Amino acid sequence: MTVERIGWIRALTAHPSTELKTLAGQLAEGCELRLTSLPQAGLGLLTLTDGAFHEPYYLGEFPLSSCAIELTRPDGRKAAGGAQVMADDAELARSLAILDAVLAAQLPGWERVSALVEAGAQKRAAEDGRRAAILAATRVDFTMLNTAGDGGDED
Amino acid sequence: MGYVAIKGGGRAIAGAAAVTECLRTEEGLWNDSAEPLGIDAILHQLRYLVDRVVSEGGVYHPQFAALAIKQSLGDTLEAAFALRAWRSTRPRLCATPALDTSRMRLIRRISAAFKEIPGGQMLGPTPDYALRLLRLELLDESPQAFRRVAREWLADCPEAQLPETFPKVLDALRAEGLLPPVSDHRGQTPFDITREPLIFPVPRSAQLSTMARAETGSLLALAYSNMRGYGDIHPTVAELRVGYLPVMLPHPVTGELTEAGEVLMTECEVVAMYEADTGSKPVFTVGYGACFGHNEVKAISMAILDRALQKGAKDGASNPSEDAEFVLLHVDGVDSMGFASHYKMPHYVTFQSDMDRLRTTQQKSGASA
Repeated sequence: MTVERIGWIRALTAHPSTELKTLAGQLAEGCELRLTSLPQAGLGLLTLTDGAFHEPYYLGEFPLSSCAIELTRPDGRKAAGGAQVMADDAELARSLAILDAVLAAQLPGWERVSALVEAGAQKRAAEDGRRAAILAATRVDFTMLNTAGDGGDED
Repeated sequence: MGYVAIKGGGRAIAGAAAVTECLRTEEGLWNDSAEPLGIDAILHQLRYLVDRVVSEGGVYHPQFAALAIKQSLGDTLEAAFALRAWRSTRPRLCATPALDTSRMRLIRRISAAFKEIPGGQMLGPTPDYALRLLRLELLDESPQAFRRVAREWLADCPEAQLPETFPKVLDALRAEGLLPPVSDHRGQTPFDITREPLIFPVPRSAQLSTMARAETGSLLALAYSNMRGYGDIHPTVAELRVGYLPVMLPHPVTGELTEAGEVLMTECEVVAMYEADTGSKPVFTVGYGACFGHNEVKAISMAILDRALQKGAKDGASNPSEDAEFVLLHVDGVDSMGFASHYKMPHYVTFQSDMDRLRTTQQKSGASA
């Protein structure tokens, strides 16, 4: 497992939500599921630090779903999991919380979650790679301008 | 004409909605292969339109913004209104801790102040240096050619090794002592414009939030007045960046900050004419602008107005763009569009009253003439 827990949501949400819900449903089968924080969908408020004076302000809102659970296996093993995800889908948050619990405590089936996390991380890395390509392809080389005797346009 | 009660309009109103829907779909009348606009197509091919709606709607939900654009037939004000209507039905779950935008995953970063900035300048996607001429070949773009473009571009790109984050130009200027010190209000809870009314004077956090979800054209018009002469300032863009900011929230179990998703945003920092107050060290003035999505005109306009409002607060407003009440109460698209649109609604009683008063005045003036 190469991805730390703080990156699991980003990696897992690279997959379709139906896939995550299906797996969570399979892994929670036969377990006792206690909701320590009810699944809910709503909004989060994005707080930023402004670049000029470093004052906090709210840029706006974003859809947010959250859930926290406790999973108890038939053999008595317990695991706590939780998720806050940028989505308007409480069921997705519940499923992610289950996957989080299974993976964190390495309950039976954790290898399947781990594989999903790794595959998702690869998808995200490819996305990051596309963004890096945008930057690399449009990097300005001012040394060429200087060589050509052009100091750049100014008004 | 006497007072006309509003009755019997229900059928007409339902008919108006049906006609609008008919217009949206009328291509189907003559084109058997007509297809509805897909949300994905709007998200990707009309991305700046989506960015505008998420920003002016004040909620980062690109998919619903695209839906709003679709149902409003591309009217940005109506789309932003629909998005805000949706957000008003949702509970507020939490606020993030104050996030640092230097962690943005950039796709564009430029400076008009320095050629060489730490990490370099990257133009990213921009029409700034292209000819603004119609590309007539797109009139008949084939699906095959359309699908090839991005694939071929990516295939030709060498693998890039770049840092994940880039330092800010303003930090370097501040380290040199050329900028005012950072604020004493860093620990304060920001003003929430969605919960509290603007009663002036309002803190700067309220000004920033209001402008962040302002209508782009309104913000530009007021900033343009400042640029043209009602402010006499030529700001310099220290840095303009566009990228994806990771949204970090505490994990419900461990409490550790965890990435819940990311938002595309634009941020601009401007510096302008230095100030030399008696007895203090002269420094540049600074302005800050930011918004959801990729919208550079909006971020630059906001930064210019932020600087203007600071000047107005300090020295008194010498023009409209330095007056917080004037700026903040006139830049919201949903507010202003609502007020403009309400004039179309029945005013039969008030207008009847106007006519009565005019007739009476005419009779009196006729009698006295």
